[in-house]
Amino acid sequence: MLGLSVLADSGLEHYRGSFRNPAMVFPLLSSSMAIGFNGRRLEKPLSDEKTGPLVSHLTSAATGVVGLGFHLYNVMKRPGGLTFTNLFYAAPAGAPFALALAGALGSTADRLARGKDTLGPIHLTSGRAIGLLTSFGLIGTVAEATLLHFRGAYHDPFMWLPVALPPVTAASLARDVVDDQPRQITTSLLAATAAMGLIGVGFHAYGVARNMGGWKNWRQNLLVGPPTPAPPAFTGLAIAGLGALMLMKKRRKARG
Amino acid sequence: MAIDPEQTPRAKNGRAPDVMTPGGWVSMREYPENEEVDFVIVGTGAGGGTLACKLAEAGFSVVAFDAGPYFRPLEDFASDETEQNKLYWTDDRIVDGDHPIKMGSNNSGKAVGGSTVHFAMVSLRFRPEHFKTRTALGYGVDWPIDWQDMWNYYDEAERALHISGPVSYPWGPKRGRYPLRAHPLNAAAEYLARGAEALGIKWTETPLATLSAPIGQSAPCVYRGFCVTGCSTNAKQSVLVAWLPRALKAGAEIRDLAMVGRIETRNRRCTGVHYQREGEWHFQKARNVVVAGYAVETPRLLLNSANEEFPDGLANSSGLVGKNLMVQLNQAAWGQVDDEIRSYKGPPSLAISEHWNYDDDKDFHGGWSYMSQGPLPITWAKSLAGGRNLWGQALIDEMARNNHSVGLKMVGEVLPYERNRVTLADDTDQYGLKIPRITFSLGPNEEAMIDHATDFMDKSLEAVGARERWKEMDDTCHLGGTARMGFDAKTSVVDADCRSWDIPNLWVCDGSVFPTVGGVNPSLTIQAIACRTGDRIKQMSARGEL
Ligand SMILES: Cc1cc2nc3c(=O)[nH]c(=O)nc-3n(C[C@H](O)[C@H](O)[C@H](O)COP(=O)(O)OP(=O)(O)OC[C@H]3O[C@@H](n4cnc5c(N)ncnc54)[C@H](O)[C@@H]3O)c2cc1C
Ligand code: SF4
Repeated sequence: MLGLSVLADSGLEHYRGSFRNPAMVFPLLSSSMAIGFNGRRLEKPLSDEKTGPLVSHLTSAATGVVGLGFHLYNVMKRPGGLTFTNLFYAAPAGAPFALALAGALGSTADRLARGKDTLGPIHLTSGRAIGLLTSFGLIGTVAEATLLHFRGAYHDPFMWLPVALPPVTAASLARDVVDDQPRQITTSLLAATAAMGLIGVGFHAYGVARNMGGWKNWRQNLLVGPPTPAPPAFTGLAIAGLGALMLMKKRRKARG
Repeated sequence: MAIDPEQTPRAKNGRAPDVMTPGGWVSMREYPENEEVDFVIVGTGAGGGTLACKLAEAGFSVVAFDAGPYFRPLEDFASDETEQNKLYWTDDRIVDGDHPIKMGSNNSGKAVGGSTVHFAMVSLRFRPEHFKTRTALGYGVDWPIDWQDMWNYYDEAERALHISGPVSYPWGPKRGRYPLRAHPLNAAAEYLARGAEALGIKWTETPLATLSAPIGQSAPCVYRGFCVTGCSTNAKQSVLVAWLPRALKAGAEIRDLAMVGRIETRNRRCTGVHYQREGEWHFQKARNVVVAGYAVETPRLLLNSANEEFPDGLANSSGLVGKNLMVQLNQAAWGQVDDEIRSYKGPPSLAISEHWNYDDDKDFHGGWSYMSQGPLPITWAKSLAGGRNLWGQALIDEMARNNHSVGLKMVGEVLPYERNRVTLADDTDQYGLKIPRITFSLGPNEEAMIDHATDFMDKSLEAVGARERWKEMDDTCHLGGTARMGFDAKTSVVDADCRSWDIPNLWVCDGSVFPTVGGVNPSLTIQAIACRTGDRIKQMSARGEL
């Protein structure tokens, strides 16, 4: 889900930038690859294919980190450097981060499916590692939504929702992880966050309609209006969070 | 068949054009001519349109007249410089003096909404000291209004216009957050920014009256750059789009294609106005008359209204009506660069430096600011022909290099001189009214400022690698000052509330009340003054002082 959101969003945005830098196709390739492998994993969770997915996840993560560098460079080279206008309109610093995250979550899922319960030094079966990663991811995504909705001057009160809800969700999830105790409220919050991500597409579509010419002028307005593929990033992360909670519960049961 | 808004009035029969929908209408209250309305307002631009809204919302009956047509931007505006000449006031005028002012596109509009229909949307506040230049800086005259008072009304105007501006403004005292975020810079603006950084001064994104997010029925700016020929998307927050729909809703009547020719007085008070509409003269009764025709038409109407009670024209016991005409200096520096600039993309002035409004280390009086530029093709051709004497093939060749041209343009303060003035000529116009004679000369102070500014802007372009640089020395913009506000009846035409000293129910509310013009574009200040005047009238009315 996160992979899809990244693919569509970066596809749209890098198309807007006319792929001026050849490196701008990388996130498209790597997020497609991630979707491919992660999707197949859904069908055949226990396949023993190893290298393909591993390469994919590593590429995702690496592309994300390198992308972060590129985007930061793009911000800094503009007049004024680290100013609001550059953060608003230059390459978004937070976006590649989502790809890195997709990579990390993907490889975690992989290891789990293969019955391995550690990723390096980190214990996975507890669900706590994934939970923590998801919390961080939510906060990062919130940061980006906050910045870009500030760019839109919160002209619609609903624009506060993705700024207000996910931090609460992230905090609740983090608390469960730390206490190693999954709570019902966290599940509800995660579900709400997942739903919000989907509803967000509708709001962004409405935002596109409010540009000159509305959807009739979709070829332009999809690019200048609010990005329709972006909000489901929240859904992807929330689902990962729900997975983490499930693992935590399962383990608690096993422990009795 | 659709009626031609330039020939036949649209605001009639209980409805006015809905600017937000092609072919649409909104209902409009109408007042009979023999009913004495609370306020007649002459002109619906930055001053008149804003005040019409404020007074109607305060519950007064208001009829606002404009000599120009009532356009619906979405259907009436073409992306064509020549077609859009229909927005400018191009009636006969005589210009003279050592530096005759070019009248028309660059300084006056004739449309419902006034000059703001084709203005460049730059929305700046005065430097506080510029309200008190005499006492604070030793030149010009003081305003009778305090800057703190103005700061509140700037807030109000900025909110009403949904100004998009930088998150923090680098000059002057603290101001509230601009309602919307700044627009992205275009290449021309980036050149200003880099030049300013190279010369070690501050720059910022220009606060603009065009939307960076959708508001109501207005879509955000699409960056096509036709702003100074009238924005066809309604992203621009002109008076036509921002204030007049509110005025109509609150019960004001707007009469388009209605030219006011004379204000009637009896017993030293106004009784109403004579106006021409559809080829005939009419009379509208009124308890108060507000003149808001801008710095040429306002004194012209006051002078043309001379009668036995007031043989020198209305509100003119000081003899100052028409005097102290000011323009703003609008000289530019240009150059060629390797990068593709396409400066016509986006609003023309996306970046600004007000450094020289706030730095007093200069050997002349007054302040100036400068902005990045984005001329449309015909305007650019005129600049090249006038500024560099290019013609024929040479002009065509230079036009072909336009995508790599980059320029900076100043807005500079001209001092008030009584010799610069509007008087009446003997010739008459299509309405049979005496036309204005506009006399203007620059002084040594202005010449010094022009040299300082063009040299500095040239240095800024040089610092970012522009070659083949040249200066456009002959351009002015923005009028002001011909019915100045002040502290007493001897030295000014109106008081701080825009009320004339001589005739208590006659008001002037537009750019002509400026005692000095400062170094920033005037429209936000005009609108802030109109907001203030609206509030003051409401208070005075409550106290029975009207
Ligand atoms: C090309 C251009 C760009 C500009 N850019 C900027 C900018 O970026 N920022 C800025 O702050 N300012 C800008 N200005 C200046 C700004 O538009 C004016 O200063 C402002 O609109 C003046 O307001 P006003 O109310 O005095 O007059 P106007 O807005 O000109 O309104 C006067 C109205 O009165 C009407 N009228 C006059 N006489 C009569 C009469 N006798 N009877 C009936 N109607 C009458 C006219 O038709 C007109 O509509 C620009 C102006 C132009 C022309
Ligand atoms: S650039 Fe923006 S403000 Fe200017 S005409 Fe186009 S939409 Fe209107």
